[in-house]
Amino acid sequence: MRLCIPNRLEDVFLALDRAELTLDLADIDHACRADVRLVLEELLVNTVRHGYPDGREGRIDIHLEIHADIVRLELRDDAEAFDPLQHEPPELPGDIAHREVGGLGLHLARSIASEFEYARDPHGNRVVIRFDPSLSDEPSL
Amino acid sequence: MTLIVRSESLTPARTTVWLEGRLDAATFGDLDSALRDITPMVDNGGTLVIDLSRLEYISSAGLRSLAQLRKQMHDRDGRTLLLNPQPQVKKVFEIVKAVPVAEVFASVAELDQYLDHMQRQITG
Repeated sequence: MRLCIPNRLEDVFLALDRAELTLDLADIDHACRADVRLVLEELLVNTVRHGYPDGREGRIDIHLEIHADIVRLELRDDAEAFDPLQHEPPELPGDIAHREVGGLGLHLARSIASEFEYARDPHGNRVVIRFDPSLSDEPSL
Repeated sequence: MTLIVRSESLTPARTTVWLEGRLDAATFGDLDSALRDITPMVDNGGTLVIDLSRLEYISSAGLRSLAQLRKQMHDRDGRTLLLNPQPQVKKVFEIVKAVPVAEVFASVAELDQYLDHMQRQITG
């Protein structure tokens, strides 16, 4: 699946639905589909909200590849430089009521992805994320 | 898929809110707005039960709404208890250590037992 979307929240959610449908048609299981959706939502919403502080129009390319044992997601955007891997993991005191809001989305995205790479090139930010469907199992809570 | 929010207050001390669908950056505003009407109906020191049986998905935007709700209830000496989270929601809660495990229940029976126990402690 290849999509190019403008930097608007409503387009992000259309892209999420398209990605989920693509994974569904490829028989990727429910848990892995939800993982991909979550990582996509966290990263794209973050880019749309914070990546274009001057309010200009931007573009985000989404490339989703499904292989036998791996789902590969590549995101490119022309937003401000932002490396999601450079952010410190948030403090997790054991109750979301006892912490400042913010920082959880990137933490979720990084925790759920099997592999996460970032690069900045002349076109903008590039993130490559891999998901191993065999690891998208249920939690032990 | 959108988010559906329903609520019922059997007594002023206990209100249940049912969430169905997805709680994400597109829908959290619907929950926030529903809660603005629902939380004032709960007594100070009361219990708000969030039934998550039919919530399929949550993202950090949804966690922020739940965090605000828990803070509000704490500030009024109340409790927010979570009922029957599904696999994706459980996984997200676990990664961010969202709530103390003691405040998450697999069934209404478990939750009732806990509230009875708390009540007995109060009344001695």
